Amino acid sequence: MMVAEQLIDGRVIEACQQGDRAAFQLLFETYKDKVFSIAVYSSGGDRAVADDVTQQIFLKLFTAIRQFRGDSEFTTWLYRLVVNACLDERRRRRRLLPWGETVAMRNPVEKKPQEKQYARLEVAEAVRAAIGELKPKFRLPILLKYIEGLSYEEIASVMGCSKGTVASRLNRGHSQLAKRLSHLNNPAAWGE
Amino acid sequence: MFSKHVTKDISAYCHGELSNEESKQFAEHIIACAKCRAKFEEVKLGVKLAEQLPQLSAPDHLWRELEPLLSRHQDEFRPRVSAGQLKAAAAVLVLLSAWGVWLIYSNRGDAILTVDGKPAWRVKRLDGTPTVGTERISNNGELAVGEWLETDGNSRAQIAVSSIGSVDIDENTRVRLLQTQPTEHRLELARGKMSAHIWAPPRLFFVNTPSAVAADLGCAYTLEVDDQGSSLLRVTSGWVALELQNRESIVPAGAACETRPSLGPGTPYFEDSAAGFKDALKQVDFDPDAAARSSALKAMLDQARTRDTLTLWHLLTRVEGEDRARVYDKMAALFPPPAGVTREGVLALNQQMLDAWRDAMETTWMGIWKGVPKPLAEAYWKTKNGLSRRLKDMAPK
Repeated sequence: MMVAEQLIDGRVIEACQQGDRAAFQLLFETYKDKVFSIAVYSSGGDRAVADDVTQQIFLKLFTAIRQFRGDSEFTTWLYRLVVNACLDERRRRRRLLPWGETVAMRNPVEKKPQEKQYARLEVAEAVRAAIGELKPKFRLPILLKYIEGLSYEEIASVMGCSKGTVASRLNRGHSQLAKRLSHLNNPAAWGE
Repeated sequence: MFSKHVTKDISAYCHGELSNEESKQFAEHIIACAKCRAKFEEVKLGVKLAEQLPQLSAPDHLWRELEPLLSRHQDEFRPRVSAGQLKAAAAVLVLLSAWGVWLIYSNRGDAILTVDGKPAWRVKRLDGTPTVGTERISNNGELAVGEWLETDGNSRAQIAVSSIGSVDIDENTRVRLLQTQPTEHRLELARGKMSAHIWAPPRLFFVNTPSAVAADLGCAYTLEVDDQGSSLLRVTSGWVALELQNRESIVPAGAACETRPSLGPGTPYFEDSAAGFKDALKQVDFDPDAAARSSALKAMLDQARTRDTLTLWHLLTRVEGEDRARVYDKMAALFPPPAGVTREGVLALNQQMLDAWRDAMETTWMGIWKGVPKPLAEAYWKTKNGLSRRLKDMAPK
């Protein structure tokens, strides 16, 4: 758990439940980057959509936090909110597609020219794009594992499935990433 | 040692999720098995790649934009009445307490726990002898997560859906409780008919059927599933979303929608549409012959009325080429698109334009939605069209 997250204890959550704005800002500052990251990767790199989704999540959190009764870890509860919001947003956008078509993923987060010279950052860019092309059921466990650092048990709790399912989806997600980016399977691509 | 392949455990091994003994067996197998070793190399590359995924920084303007939105909800934390009013309300509450106690103990709606500690819903017999699992319900019973409730040709039952509503189960029906928790309540309707009355925030109550998922948006509706797994949704108040994978139909009060296994939800239609319109729509939705679908579409358009734009709007994204152009032209004649929405944009499925046109027409669809309070209708709007965007629009400039 990061230092910032250690600041979020029962008293902070209780203050948020009373409508304390300062406490809620602390909560926001603690989790905003992680929530925003998931929203960006879930929206195919569209930062405008991610902005909107992140705002919606924190707005929902502000009112819904009164319903949090401590039955589960706060982070599990929060990430469930995040996952549902990202899936809802994706469903909303995909409803407009004809039968059988899939969403054409937008370009991933815009590259900064100065980053292009670094092989590792090129790899990161390629991974961002490839992640955006995975189905949500494979993408979300990867984001929860690598962005949020959750254990398999925590991911299972957030996603409402078994640990075995999490393991299986991560396996398939990793395999698909490897296949899509097989050209990066050489030391030169990593600047080595 | 070589008997069982370990490909399903590769990610768990890489993430240290296996026990020491499991890890040891995994490693021994990988050394001996070329097939698993090849898969291991692939997944390992995937893990290495995923580790490069950076955490991004949220833009600074997020909090600035969020603050005014929070202010709009701050009132929800404050008492809405004066101290004097509170005292008066307390007195009334005392007078009502006896009734309240009776209500709580006679008809509790909250999710309960079985003796095994499983979350459950209360079930009331309405007619005959419904069963939960192998147990017959004489008057009241419990439906735990994972259990089936069944009625025969002479029995009916009523389920209290936690504290958010109720579901009446008709004759010859089979339902199962899949999940009940604060963030989601989910039933499975395998066959038969149920009527739901839900008074909860949108997307809290779901019903899985063999051919779609019904997501409640604050409403009352009936849902029937036949032996082939097809279903018919009829909404009596509020809105329901029918979803399967990437396909979604939004069904308002007065409208209905059919679903088919593997195809998912068809196109919603108002029940008072012309019989010919509805028959043709069924062909458009489910006939495998493309020529027949195109011909049926023409018949549909000939009979469409203004409120049938609900159906036509959904069809815009489900037909292609000249058919889409025909749908557009009919819609434009019935309900001209608002400023900024062009024929070219709609035919190219420009989402902003489609949304803008739908927003304009939805008021018409809601106008015929009698009996539903305006705040509820507005709550639906806020949810479906993006709460953030709506509140931003309303914020003082």
